[in-house]
Amino acid sequence: MNVTITEEGNKALVSLEGRLDTTNADQFMKDITPLMNGTHEEIDMDCTNMEYTSSQGLRMFLMLQKTVSARGAKLVLRNMKPHVKEVFDITGFSHIITIL
Amino acid sequence: MYGRRSISNRLSRYVVLLCAGLLLVITLLVGAFSRTLIERGTISLASRELEVVTSDVERVVAEVERAVDNVDWFVQQHRSEEPLMYQATRELVEANPNIIGSAVAFAPGYFHGRHWFAPYTYIDAHTNRIQSIQMGNESYDYPNLDWYRIPMTQGRAVWSEPYFDEGGGNRRMATYSAPMRDESGNLFAVLTSDISLEWLSQRMAESTLFNGSYAVMISERGMYIAHPDSSKILNQSIFDVASAMPDTMGLAIARNMVTGMKGTGRFIDVNGLDSFAVYGPLSNGWSIMLVSPYTLTFSNIYIFNIIMIVLLIIGLIAMYFGCRRLIRRKTMPIVEFSNAAMTMAKGNFNAHIPEVKTRDELMTLRNSIEYMQRSLNEYITELKATTAANERFESELNIARGIQNAMLPQDFPEDGRFGLHAMVQPAKEVGGDLYDFVLAGDELFFLVGDVSGKGVPAAIYMAIVRAAFHFIGSLGMPIQDVVRQVNNCLNDGNKNCLFVTFFAGCLHLSTGELEFCNAGHNPIVQVKPDGSASFLRAKPNLAAGLFRDFPYEGEKLHLEPGSRLILYSDGVTEAERADKTQFGEDRLLEWAGHLLPGVSASAATLDLYSRVKSFTQGSEQNDDITILSLQYGKQ
Repeated sequence: MNVTITEEGNKALVSLEGRLDTTNADQFMKDITPLMNGTHEEIDMDCTNMEYTSSQGLRMFLMLQKTVSARGAKLVLRNMKPHVKEVFDITGFSHIITIL
Repeated sequence: MYGRRSISNRLSRYVVLLCAGLLLVITLLVGAFSRTLIERGTISLASRELEVVTSDVERVVAEVERAVDNVDWFVQQHRSEEPLMYQATRELVEANPNIIGSAVAFAPGYFHGRHWFAPYTYIDAHTNRIQSIQMGNESYDYPNLDWYRIPMTQGRAVWSEPYFDEGGGNRRMATYSAPMRDESGNLFAVLTSDISLEWLSQRMAESTLFNGSYAVMISERGMYIAHPDSSKILNQSIFDVASAMPDTMGLAIARNMVTGMKGTGRFIDVNGLDSFAVYGPLSNGWSIMLVSPYTLTFSNIYIFNIIMIVLLIIGLIAMYFGCRRLIRRKTMPIVEFSNAAMTMAKGNFNAHIPEVKTRDELMTLRNSIEYMQRSLNEYITELKATTAANERFESELNIARGIQNAMLPQDFPEDGRFGLHAMVQPAKEVGGDLYDFVLAGDELFFLVGDVSGKGVPAAIYMAIVRAAFHFIGSLGMPIQDVVRQVNNCLNDGNKNCLFVTFFAGCLHLSTGELEFCNAGHNPIVQVKPDGSASFLRAKPNLAAGLFRDFPYEGEKLHLEPGSRLILYSDGVTEAERADKTQFGEDRLLEWAGHLLPGVSASAATLDLYSRVKSFTQGSEQNDDITILSLQYGKQ
């Protein structure tokens, strides 16, 4: 999973690419630490090239969501592939995380 | 131990081969050099001998010529006095031991009108006494003989071709003839002196340079004057002999000799003998040749070469054994190192490594082996500790697996109203999937869940989930209340955002009424009595453990007897084979649609599992697999 973070003022533009599963979940956690600890008011994640997420991956998104919400900021996931979006739908994560 | 292939043997062989090559080259060079030297020596030796012989013969020839010249004036002064002419010839023979005969042969009609007048004094071949005669007559018509005719015609002194003086000296001889002139310059006589060819042959025979060598003398025309085989003298010319030789070298030498050249040559003689010749001219046009058998002359070279080769071979053999012994002794530590290494390889890491005193590669090797020994010891100690730790961890994991397995009910009830079977196959020793069921009177409570993540962390959370469920599920609450309670229970102290998705159902066995609640789990498969299979798209709600008091909603469904439900975790649909294709929902639905009506719940469970396994074709299982199949009513 490749994570590319670009900052635009208070906004963080994030591009996700590849598969997110148990083997690289820890690395993903490290990659998004700047977003967790940062002061961005808005985090915009582009999921165009995200191929897969496991339940472990969902947990990472959830932790990010909780952290971001706690500081009153906003997290948005965009352009998710249908089969990835389905995982978010089935588990009900679509209710918690904003997916556009 | 290694025989011919041992280092000492191989190195010795290489050294000896190298030396043999070098020495061979040196031997060839020395051989060639010494051959040249010996050849040169032999040639100069033969040339000197030739000079000695030549000068001996030259001296005789010169003496004869000088003697003739000395009496020249006397003959001229007294050419009309008969007794003095006899006296002149007699004095020549008496005063010169080399002259065996002498004559003054007058031109026909010159001496007092006599046609033949030639006073001749000679040493009789039989009596050895000096006699004088007048030899010219009808039967010895000397004016027609070469010794007279040639000097008279040419007007100068000449040596005749050797000849047998029939009617004169009656022996083989060569004659020196000097023409006599009177005051007015007219030629009136020839003064001659004969020398014996026997004497020349004797002198030639004295010259034995080498064993088997001989000397020959030839005339201007190539006729033999002196030869060890006296039958050849005056009978054969050198060309007769040379043309019978197998090669043309003899002829070339013969041609050189008659043209008065000096030189050396090698030829095969008529008997096939390889011969070596030195030849040179005499001042009177004759030529002398010394012949030696080549092999005898140069036999020293062969002996020298053979001795060198024998010495060489002996030296090389000695060198081989010497080298082998030396190398064996010097490389002894390698054998000992090898033994030590073998001992280490067999597990004894404290094997003694032999000491080395030389500060060379062996010392380095020894240090390396010692270092290896130390490292191995450390590594093995560490490995033992790690292995022990791993074993402990593994045994703990096995125990954990046992405990986890024991949490999941294994005794599936045999009941005419329904059939139920379930299985969990974790991807690792322990996993986060779970199933459960509770039969309480008319109600069958059942569940399949999947905790986020895998392995030990998931297993711990799974234990909590299972405990919460088993307790709350048995309280007889409506299904959505059970789920809400479980969710709240899991929420307490869940800082790590662990969560669980599950499908929980409660089947009223008498009516076929199914109450169910889905907490973010995969859609379950429903197979109707007619065999048609479809996904039951329940409300997703939300995975449990995330938000306290989330309003989980339950749903209801009426099951006809003969219906089947297949619950599973995403380990089934997301099972991957090597080409990254997943088993997927379509394959699952197709499998369910082909289930035969009489198939038991356990057979269905195991069949789906084996279907998934044969699909992944031995690829590593990447997620826990859970299958629960429930069959309602008699089939």
